[in-house]
Amino acid sequence: MRVRLTHLAALFLALAVVTHAANEVRPPVGKDSVRFAVIGDSGTGDKAQYEVATQLADSIQVFPFEFVIMLGDNIYGSERPQDFQKKFEIPYKTLLDLKVLFYAALGNHDDPNQRFYKPFNMGGQRFYSFQRKDTRFFVLDSNYMDKDQQAWLEKELANSTSKWKIAYFHHPLYSSGATHGSEVDLRTIVEPLFIKYGVSLVFAGHEHFYERIKPQKGIAYFTSGGAAKLRDGDILKTGLTAKGFDTEQSFMLVELDGDVMHFQTLSRRGAVVDSGDVHRVIPEGSQ
Amino acid sequence: MRIPKTASSVILLTVLAAAYPAQAQQTVNPAGAAALEFHKRIEAYVAIHNAAEAKVPALGSTSDPAKIHDREVALGRQIQALRANAKPGDVFAPEEQPYLVKIVRADFATRSAAARKALVQELPKNLKIEINMVYPTSLPLETFPGRLLRLLPDLPPELEYRIVGHHLLLRDVTANLIVDIIRDVVPTIPS
Repeated sequence: MRVRLTHLAALFLALAVVTHAANEVRPPVGKDSVRFAVIGDSGTGDKAQYEVATQLADSIQVFPFEFVIMLGDNIYGSERPQDFQKKFEIPYKTLLDLKVLFYAALGNHDDPNQRFYKPFNMGGQRFYSFQRKDTRFFVLDSNYMDKDQQAWLEKELANSTSKWKIAYFHHPLYSSGATHGSEVDLRTIVEPLFIKYGVSLVFAGHEHFYERIKPQKGIAYFTSGGAAKLRDGDILKTGLTAKGFDTEQSFMLVELDGDVMHFQTLSRRGAVVDSGDVHRVIPEGSQ
Repeated sequence: MRIPKTASSVILLTVLAAAYPAQAQQTVNPAGAAALEFHKRIEAYVAIHNAAEAKVPALGSTSDPAKIHDREVALGRQIQALRANAKPGDVFAPEEQPYLVKIVRADFATRSAAARKALVQELPKNLKIEINMVYPTSLPLETFPGRLLRLLPDLPPELEYRIVGHHLLLRDVTANLIVDIIRDVVPTIPS
């Protein structure tokens, strides 16, 4: 009987480990670095979103990040007040209580009026930028890239003297997704600006998986749209992929330390599924 | 209210017409006249939007999503009441519609079947849309192709173009209302 009970306890323990595996996150490298988390396509309100949120809450204990960037589809389906609770406020309560800030981009499932929702820190704008130390973030509305937004982006990029320039938005310019694929239309408009003004890093969602794209024209592209939704096995063999992960939900942790960006990509169960460094694009003529 | 960039060309046309009435009659081309009419109708819609907005609480950043939701609903209802008799072509001026259709069809002709499908794949087939109707809040907004947006006349921030199925529509951004529709603009995707 005693043996049976031990076996039973071991079984329960094993189940617990499966449902909430140990988080493999590594601590930051730099002391004064800019640290943030990346989530995309997160607002389902379902179990997967909550489990990823738990991993984020565990991660911040080891990798203290100051803010989270949201890559769109922040609230799926109806957007009644209770939906904001179920799909944002409750799952990320631990982070919100720690005063972690969220900076949202709009996805195609998002009502543009989300820009008025204070916890998304959009300042009432569909597209906006913000600064952290020597890094400027350009947050775009890739659902509707009109002339006003293009003009704004060019002006903001031209005026920025920040060391790091990072853009993020919902639709990936490069993607191996079978469901959506690369957003070529958008790419023809914004990529020339990214190159001209020295954008080093681009994050997007929309595809419900993680993909690190081989650098394109000197820019590092990441797709991280699996913070709740998952399209299992959706990554096609395209030649674009440096690393893909489409068998489980995921999120990213990023650190900007001098001229190097360190990243870790974690699964819903806390395993590190990708990690590495990206070196900043240094525009010609500057140091 | 921000004046769209097309307004400058419209104003120029108007000034020329006032200065040289007889000549202007002869030289204003149909495309310019159609654009002018479309612009006038957009302005008339924005006036309605502003009148409706004056009747609902102002909205700034808030931590209370109920305020955002309730305001959107209230603004939509005000506009619906002010445009109770709205009909197709009230904003999409009939004389402008052939030009818009031509632009959209020419753009889609350059896109592969897969690219066309990608633009309309997220919405249910046969989704029914009507003027003055609330855009279904549980459905996504299909991404509007950026290159096509560059070719269409500019809109004020209150309005945006959207494609639903085969239809081109104008949507009120903050009220989430369908303002006008040109049906069967987007060509059928070859199977």
